[in-house]
Amino acid sequence: MSTATTGMSTKRRNGAGSKRRNGGGTGSESFGRQRQRWLPWAFLAPTILGMGLFTLVPIVASVVLAFFRWDIISAPSFVGFDNFAEVVQDPTVRVSFLNTIMFVVVAVALQLGLALALAIMVQEKLPAWLRVFFRSAFFFPLILSAASVSIFMRYLFNEQFGVVNWLLSFVGIPAVPWLTTPAGSAAVVILVYVWQNFGFSFLLFIGGLASIPTETYEAASIDGATGWRKHLHVTLPLLSPTTLVASVMAIINALQVFDQPYVLTRGGPGDSTRTAVMVIFESAFQRLEFGQASAIGVILTLIIMAITAAQFRLSKRFVFYQ
Amino acid sequence: MPGSNGKLREISRRTALGALGAGIVGATVASWPRLTGMDIPGRGDNSLSIAILGTAADAAARQRVIDAFAKVHPEIKVKVQAIQAADWKDFFTKILTMVAAGTPPDVVYVATEGAQLFAEKLAHPLDEYLRRDAADMKEYFADVHPSLVEAFMYKGSLFQLPIDWNAANMYYNTSALQQAGLERPADNWTQVDFRNNLAAMRKARPQDFTPYYWTNRLFGGVVPWLYANDTSFLKESKSTGGEWLWDSFYAQDPSRGLRSGGYQWLEPNADDPRVYESFDYLRGLVKDGLGVRPEEGGGNSLVGLFASNRIGMTPAGGYWVEGLHEAGMKEDDFDVQFFPRWRTQRHQFGTAGYAIMKTAKDKDAAWEWLKFASSLEAMRLVFPTPNTTPARRSMVNEQLYAGRGPKHWKVFYDTLDKFPTTGPIPAPPQQAAVETALMKNVSLAVSGDENQLKQALASMQRDLEIALRRQA
Repeated sequence: MSTATTGMSTKRRNGAGSKRRNGGGTGSESFGRQRQRWLPWAFLAPTILGMGLFTLVPIVASVVLAFFRWDIISAPSFVGFDNFAEVVQDPTVRVSFLNTIMFVVVAVALQLGLALALAIMVQEKLPAWLRVFFRSAFFFPLILSAASVSIFMRYLFNEQFGVVNWLLSFVGIPAVPWLTTPAGSAAVVILVYVWQNFGFSFLLFIGGLASIPTETYEAASIDGATGWRKHLHVTLPLLSPTTLVASVMAIINALQVFDQPYVLTRGGPGDSTRTAVMVIFESAFQRLEFGQASAIGVILTLIIMAITAAQFRLSKRFVFYQ
Repeated sequence: MPGSNGKLREISRRTALGALGAGIVGATVASWPRLTGMDIPGRGDNSLSIAILGTAADAAARQRVIDAFAKVHPEIKVKVQAIQAADWKDFFTKILTMVAAGTPPDVVYVATEGAQLFAEKLAHPLDEYLRRDAADMKEYFADVHPSLVEAFMYKGSLFQLPIDWNAANMYYNTSALQQAGLERPADNWTQVDFRNNLAAMRKARPQDFTPYYWTNRLFGGVVPWLYANDTSFLKESKSTGGEWLWDSFYAQDPSRGLRSGGYQWLEPNADDPRVYESFDYLRGLVKDGLGVRPEEGGGNSLVGLFASNRIGMTPAGGYWVEGLHEAGMKEDDFDVQFFPRWRTQRHQFGTAGYAIMKTAKDKDAAWEWLKFASSLEAMRLVFPTPNTTPARRSMVNEQLYAGRGPKHWKVFYDTLDKFPTTGPIPAPPQQAAVETALMKNVSLAVSGDENQLKQALASMQRDLEIALRRQA
């Protein structure tokens, strides 16, 4: 019966199509044509409307706001490029951008390296049922709230009463001031961020590894490649499209890091873990300088766009498509 | 399962889609009141909307006050909106976003941290109402210490009526003190005595114990030490004006001569040698393992740690009593003493009260709420347990602390009487930027050597200059 239905539907579709091709048509057919024209737009309308209202308008408004001084309460006043000039001269903003770049370099390298290594291990060494378990286990931190995780981690890394220092004490390591020294704070922020985010890159790499034909590995084995050489000369090149996607997404995410440093260290001690997005938040919602916050946001957006464009440009040289 | 014929299958799909659509429409219609935002206090009706820092449970706890208010003013409908936030700064951020969204509350419960921000930008002065209802308000002011009132004076006008407050006193664990062979510190103990006590406690319990735990916050962090050393990280001055209030309500008060038109913090003071001296003292405590390196914004775990006998002393206010009681501490397990004396024994305090927003729809109704909320009847309903120190002296009594402790609960209100120069948290209108400038440099200042301390204070001075230059 289902075959008959399919046949009937096909006939109906073909019939309508032939009438259209013949240029004829009754009123109902004309309505059908009209419907076919507006139907896609009707389906797209909610998305377009949503994107326009909640993405495009805020972006444009944010860029415009960067040229105004506005504290929410008083009327905004046009200040030209003053906000940009003040932002560039502000040492806290400069340090926060530098911190963000350093964070991206270390965190993304760790995130991708860890995700790739674990993906290869899970895909190669583990039985199928364990693979499923680890895929879920590594992805699990990503679905947790970053704020909740950070609050929890704050307890774990407490210098006096934290579990981490308690465990370290068993191997004779004295209490580490994790959250009260610049190096310790940066390490914890990166660690927590990578722990929570590497699962996504891991899943991408798992997908990429699954798409590499086994014949390629067999051919490499016949040619004498074993162990890490096989991965160096087969896995990495063939995984390069996935690596590109994973690195683009990881860098964009890392450039916008906020939750972990805000909850774990509030940007301190000093400015050692203050990031660009934290400064945007502080400017807007704590100091009521929405114009300056927008200016920092515009600069950050331009940096993200420039880095992403550079990645795609470099990808022409380093990414191999089968 | 596939349908038994094509028609049935097609109908099933359509039916499913139709049902889904009908469901969405139905749900939309059913939840329409919420979708229109009618549940946002004050929107769409003439209710007086009141924002407080807290949870839905805190809002529910206010219900008895609302009911009592309704009996007195049946014509004024009140809705309390509890806003959850990590701290006061976070709470003010949320109020500001409500202002930006065009849905500001009519009345906001504001602590000292935001008093001048609200006074400068958002709040309506109470002067006209206080002059009009002076006879009604005499009883309130007679029961409230003028230091608390002065904290809400700004440029000669009063913007809030203190409802509750807390000074940074020193809590101590009685068993930790006994283990170290120490007795309760004297009322006029000094910073040297304090350090000796910590050293004794450390000696008695070398492991899994912190003699002095403190956090990097505006209240109870480094500021009480600065105040005790007769300095602060901001230069403090007072504005003129306000005589009308002091003459009306505090003419006979012994501290009348100290009162002013409000505090001003116009210049940074981190380069003061006494600031260096205070930080160096704290650096010494950290270096010698007597005190912790303070975490920024920490404090959430403090009650638990103190209640589990792992902390010897920590600065806190009367708000801690109920928390310690709930954490299982008996009334004799802990006690409280004045903050140690250095050059002075000036304490730091924070207070809170309702402010009427400039944008309030009905300011007269808002004033009636303020007046009622400051009455003895209302405050007894709000503070049945010691989870803060009521601003009314008459309420800080044996009955409030019965069965909970501390034994020397009188220390709380005596702080104001014995040390009349005790002052509020330094919080100019640019409080958020100032707080950030202070906090971000504290950990560095007390964690390294002398050079690092000097660098951190220089950085603090520079950051404060920038913060104070900013518009509030």
